[in-house]
Amino acid sequence: MMKDVAFGQYYPTKSYVHNLDPRLKIVFLIAYIVAIFLAKNFYGLACCFVVLALSIGFSRVPVLRVFKAIKGILFLIVFTTLLNLLFYNGETVYAEWWIFTITKEGILFSVFLVIRLVLLITCSSLLTYTTTPVALTDGIESLLFPLTLIRFPVRELAQIMSIALRYIPILMDETERIMNAQKARGANFETGGLVSRVKAVIPVLIPLLLSSFRRAEELGDAMEARCYTGGRKRTKYKKLRFTWRDLLAFFAGAALITGVVLLNVYLGAMI
Amino acid sequence: MRIQAEHLSYTYNPGSPFSSAALKDVSLSVEEGEFFGIIGHTGSGKSTFVQHLNALLRVPTSLKKYRKKHKAPPSNTVLRVGEFDLTDKKTDFNALRSKVGMVMQYPEYQLFAETVFEDVAFGYKNFAPEKPTKEQVESAVRDALTIVGLNYDEVKEMSPFDLSGGQKRRVAIAGVIVTKPEILVLDEPAAGLDPLGKQEVMELLHRLHASWCKTIIIVSHDMDEIAENCTRVAVFSDGEVKYVLPPKELFRHAEELLALGLDVPLTAKICLALKEYGIRLECDFTTEDFLKKALALQGKGGSV
Repeated sequence: MMKDVAFGQYYPTKSYVHNLDPRLKIVFLIAYIVAIFLAKNFYGLACCFVVLALSIGFSRVPVLRVFKAIKGILFLIVFTTLLNLLFYNGETVYAEWWIFTITKEGILFSVFLVIRLVLLITCSSLLTYTTTPVALTDGIESLLFPLTLIRFPVRELAQIMSIALRYIPILMDETERIMNAQKARGANFETGGLVSRVKAVIPVLIPLLLSSFRRAEELGDAMEARCYTGGRKRTKYKKLRFTWRDLLAFFAGAALITGVVLLNVYLGAMI
Repeated sequence: MRIQAEHLSYTYNPGSPFSSAALKDVSLSVEEGEFFGIIGHTGSGKSTFVQHLNALLRVPTSLKKYRKKHKAPPSNTVLRVGEFDLTDKKTDFNALRSKVGMVMQYPEYQLFAETVFEDVAFGYKNFAPEKPTKEQVESAVRDALTIVGLNYDEVKEMSPFDLSGGQKRRVAIAGVIVTKPEILVLDEPAAGLDPLGKQEVMELLHRLHASWCKTIIIVSHDMDEIAENCTRVAVFSDGEVKYVLPPKELFRHAEELLALGLDVPLTAKICLALKEYGIRLECDFTTEDFLKKALALQGKGGSV
């Protein structure tokens, strides 16, 4: 059950995308999202799609796996599509019933929105598929570095983040272990009404809470015993380095945004 | 109840890059009345195997999802615990779990209730076919706490978190055996306890073996514990069963076990060392027997 939770779902393999600098991947993702929102017609979105398809191809992550991420927001997609489909005020009316109207513009806009959402989710999940959580926090730390000028504790924040990420799989394992132990004592998590299901969670939650406090305390002790103090200039075990690969990807990102803006200008906005 | 497993395989995360085969075609049976030991490295499949025994891990053919994909169960896997057929999805797994108690590693971390009484009663109430009366619960909890060596009237109102480490473990074990399971499986029951605590837990297990639980299975890293207590031992390595032997025969293979990266009891180590000096000492590897044989050897003039 716990294995279905899609978080920190790193897909381990070797590829061009995996090897890219995490900072660049984060910046590229932001650029990509901006491009998606800048795109005002289907040609722009098509450009974005091609870029995404290429990225997936270069990442060697199975296509089905990447699109699995959509499952999580399926409800959102269906919901927004229905709303737009039924309530969009367009000119060419196809059908009308009570307060609902289906128009040509409504249909187009819904399709547009679906594509936008799907691209958005897939590209973000591609980032987590191809970047280990540790590399991701390193990247974020490095990108937020200018904030240290205004005394913002970037390093500590990154440390907290990487510890939190590191402990997610451990706590998941722990949850499963405790659930198994309580199942062996006849606990039932699968059936029953809402009240009995909430009640069934208590025998898992309390030991889990206790053990996470215990772990936090132990980790704190261990860090102190190794003379960890935040704030100082700390050196890194793995240094991030910008290489020609990253430069290539950087230009690809810049080209994408320029391309989308130019398409908007020349072919006109659809919406 | 007899445990019978044939051609049992299990793979974690099948079809993903993390997939790993934990059990490979394991065949093993445990007779009623045994004090069975399971040893092996971390990741050797021993935990995976014992989790099958009370259906915490299920044989694929017993799952609906599998049945939907494949119409008939094609495998030759057999997994039976007494009258329960664990390859059949119609089996009453809840009833099975009340018959096969499972004490996980560090069971004291699973305590959750406000009082010791509530925690021990948890399993009893869950498994009761109909709502038990207050008296029934009370007598079951009293029996369970007494057999693990705690004073019922003293501890029943206490918070389980206020007890000492050894006491917590006893309460946790009481919470499992409260349904009087016929088979009791324990994963490292003495891990993390001091020598006296270890001895007490083993005594408790023998007490249980003589009264409530006909069959006891322990998973352990402590070879001395295995040599002293078990009737038979299965050695897991890399998802396969390498040996199933009584300890006194198994530890004659001390060199092979050490080659598998496993430890052997202290007595077996000494026997090995003596062998290098040309002294043969035949014993069943319990401390008591070893001492007796060693002293006898010394009496005969062998220089030990």
